[in-house]
Amino acid sequence: MAETKSSSGGVRGWQIALLIGIFGLIVLFYKGLWGNPSYIPPVLIGTPAPAITAPDLYQPKEVSLSQFRGKVVVLNFWASWCQECKLEHQTLLELKDRFSKNPNFVMLGVNYQDKEDLAQQYLKEHGNNFDHIRDAKGRISIDYGVYGVPETFVIDQNGVIRHKQIGPIIGETYTYLVEQVIEPLLNGTAKAS
Amino acid sequence: MIIELGHFAVITALILAMVGIASPIIGLKKRDAVWVEVGKQAVTLNFILISIGMLAMEYSYLMQDYSVRYVYATSNSKLPIFYKVAGLWGGHEGSLLLWSWILSFFCMLAARIHWKTQPAVMPYLIAMQSTVMTGFLLLILFLSNPFERIFPVPPDGRDLNPLLQDPAMVMHPPFLYLGYVGLSIPFSFAMAALFSGRLGEEWIKATQRWTLMAWLCLTIGILMGGYWAYYELGWGGYWGWDPVENAAFMPWLVATAFLHSVMVQESRKMFKVWNLFLIILAFSLSLIGTFLVRSGILSSVHSFAADPGRGLFILGFLSFMLLLSFGTLIFRSAKLKSQIEMDSVISREAIFLFNNLFFLVAMVTVFIGTLYPLLTEALQFKKVSVGPPYYNTVFMPVALGLVFLMGIGPYIPWRKASVQNLKELFFMPGLIALGGLAVFAAVGIRHSYALAGLTVVCFVAAVIFIDFAKIASFWAKREQVSSLQGFLTAYKKNPRRLSGIITHIGVLVMIIGIIFSTIYQTEKVMIMKPGEEVNLGTYRIKLIRLYGAQGVNWEGQEALFNVYQGETLLTQLRPQKRFYTVSQTPTTETAIHQIYTGHIFVTIPEVAPDGSWARVRALHNPLVLWVWYGGAIMGIGVILNIFRKSRTKVSASQPETTAPEVVISLPRPAQEEVLHRSNRWQTFLNTVWPGRKEV
Repeated sequence: MAETKSSSGGVRGWQIALLIGIFGLIVLFYKGLWGNPSYIPPVLIGTPAPAITAPDLYQPKEVSLSQFRGKVVVLNFWASWCQECKLEHQTLLELKDRFSKNPNFVMLGVNYQDKEDLAQQYLKEHGNNFDHIRDAKGRISIDYGVYGVPETFVIDQNGVIRHKQIGPIIGETYTYLVEQVIEPLLNGTAKAS
Repeated sequence: MIIELGHFAVITALILAMVGIASPIIGLKKRDAVWVEVGKQAVTLNFILISIGMLAMEYSYLMQDYSVRYVYATSNSKLPIFYKVAGLWGGHEGSLLLWSWILSFFCMLAARIHWKTQPAVMPYLIAMQSTVMTGFLLLILFLSNPFERIFPVPPDGRDLNPLLQDPAMVMHPPFLYLGYVGLSIPFSFAMAALFSGRLGEEWIKATQRWTLMAWLCLTIGILMGGYWAYYELGWGGYWGWDPVENAAFMPWLVATAFLHSVMVQESRKMFKVWNLFLIILAFSLSLIGTFLVRSGILSSVHSFAADPGRGLFILGFLSFMLLLSFGTLIFRSAKLKSQIEMDSVISREAIFLFNNLFFLVAMVTVFIGTLYPLLTEALQFKKVSVGPPYYNTVFMPVALGLVFLMGIGPYIPWRKASVQNLKELFFMPGLIALGGLAVFAAVGIRHSYALAGLTVVCFVAAVIFIDFAKIASFWAKREQVSSLQGFLTAYKKNPRRLSGIITHIGVLVMIIGIIFSTIYQTEKVMIMKPGEEVNLGTYRIKLIRLYGAQGVNWEGQEALFNVYQGETLLTQLRPQKRFYTVSQTPTTETAIHQIYTGHIFVTIPEVAPDGSWARVRALHNPLVLWVWYGGAIMGIGVILNIFRKSRTKVSASQPETTAPEVVISLPRPAQEEVLHRSNRWQTFLNTVWPGRKEV
């Protein structure tokens, strides 16, 4: 029946792998100790915005980012369960109002890991003046490296991400976003990054 | 004064722990058993000393001595006495003290229980346990000292975190620690087996009950944590894949794999190195879990303040333990050869192998998910949060596979199953499962995971109960009794197997609970004003009014809801939004109404300051109680298994246990007990130490 293997006596592959694994883990933990758990590498700024095709929150249609090529797009990730999103909501409405005359300005909300009815109810409660798409499975957010909501991206006429804002757009952040980011882009006075 | 006494006791314990490492090693080197005896006494004394430390801390809690910084941080004079006592493990320092207290208790217990029967293991066990102990005591005394005083003395404490003021949460950490630390005993036995080269089945047989006990405690701890999350955190679920939950879940997965794979070694003498690997991994994961939680390296709802110095120490200790244990395994196992090879892929041992692989895949899944934030940072990936969607996608198929194997493994024959075997065993259950699938589909279940899960559960249940019927009627016929008595006879003949099957039944019940309470959950979140109502499946919930409420150490708002089914009023629910005044923390108190084995679950996470509206979160969780019923059945199975009578078979370990007894019959001039013992030891060590051969 059972055969007895001839004893190799030497060190086998799995043993080396195990040892490497342990050392790897220790190094990883060591690096982790000095890191900041909420650090986000700014890899996306200056790179082409990942393509988006997603269903509209209200109408049964697909919206894609490429249809806005040639316009400045403000992409805002939000969710109805997010407390901080409420803080910035009025400013977002103001932002849209401010540039609503400009045909080259588009604002698009991305509803992140949310339920359709809850999202709609949220907008009904807090007011709404721009379009929203749904990211129910979180795929868009993964592509954009969204770590938490709210997060806002500004994409230029060539489809390149020019600015990323983590956290609510209120107060000085709003002023900066309008005066230093969006207006220069719309006027064509922005410096290439 | 009392607290200084406790502090001093723990300092002494540290010194004794070091003695506990050194003296058994000296004993082994010098072949003098007195040194091992010294180790045993050190371990016993250590338990007493750390108990003094624990009592001193508890005394300060009860006497409301807020000059002790840790007591100040985790207690308050208004706190009910129950939570004053539990305040000890409400923070980092006290948790570590509790951890080492349990360790000292188990170590003492193991040394006393196995002293006579497993003398060869004792030096290693004591040294190993003392090493872990030393690490923890150093951490406690130098980097997180609960005995530290503050001056000026604050008039009152900062209060225990209100989220922890809950019965389930009070018992959750002790059970987890019992589980974590319980694994250290089989781990030490495994290390002893590696060091001494006695890699037979004895260490597994000797530690069977330890492993089961640790597994039971870990299971209870995890389920309690789930229960707490369910109704105290108020997000309506019991499992959120939080790093700290995962930290307890990973050792559980590996310990479960271990519990299964040891059976292969016992019956077929296979998987020797594998079993050693598994138990070392299980205990290492307990340590890694402790590291992840205590160093603040991962952000989670449970994490305590990050302190790199502390983290560095724990990491150093962790690295030492990992390298020591896995290093020994690597170097010692180079000499081992796997003695028996698998005969067939269709055999019980092969199913066990799959079982193990599945459990490990599950563990690796959780491991990667938990460490993903660290990995992305180290490798500069895009930051992506790994949430429940990741786990559910990867984990679900693995879990399904495991449940399926549960129906096959215990029934398929060892070595090689014939087609005839398979047909006899699984044809009927297969048909029943297909029938079940048709029924589920007809009832309107469309979700693919729910269908697959329920079908598999149906299959496994059919296998189990057909087998029950078979053995019951077999013994009933043979003993001329009723089939119920026949079943009991069958149980008595093989309690280990049948108590294991009971645990499996518990798993099935739990799986049903999980499927229904997650996939068929109804959830509504909305703003409601008094008088408004909302439909929740076939139920209807109406907000009657909102009003202020007050407790001993909190104030807040309460909502009154009527729950209707059709037009009949089922019950009234009163969820609360509390604000704990001392610690300035808000909490949401859940209101739950049980319907059959499901729950109507209502919380009010947000209430308007003027009480005109509330954000309401209402859920219907069908069959959610099955999760805990399943857990209870699993627990009963394991408890039966722990307390079953061992079969008095002449085992291979017989010669070892009789060996020292032979020595006693030799002339023994020395009358002193210690000397007598050491004689016995001496002879024994002489046979053990130079040998270091494989059994």
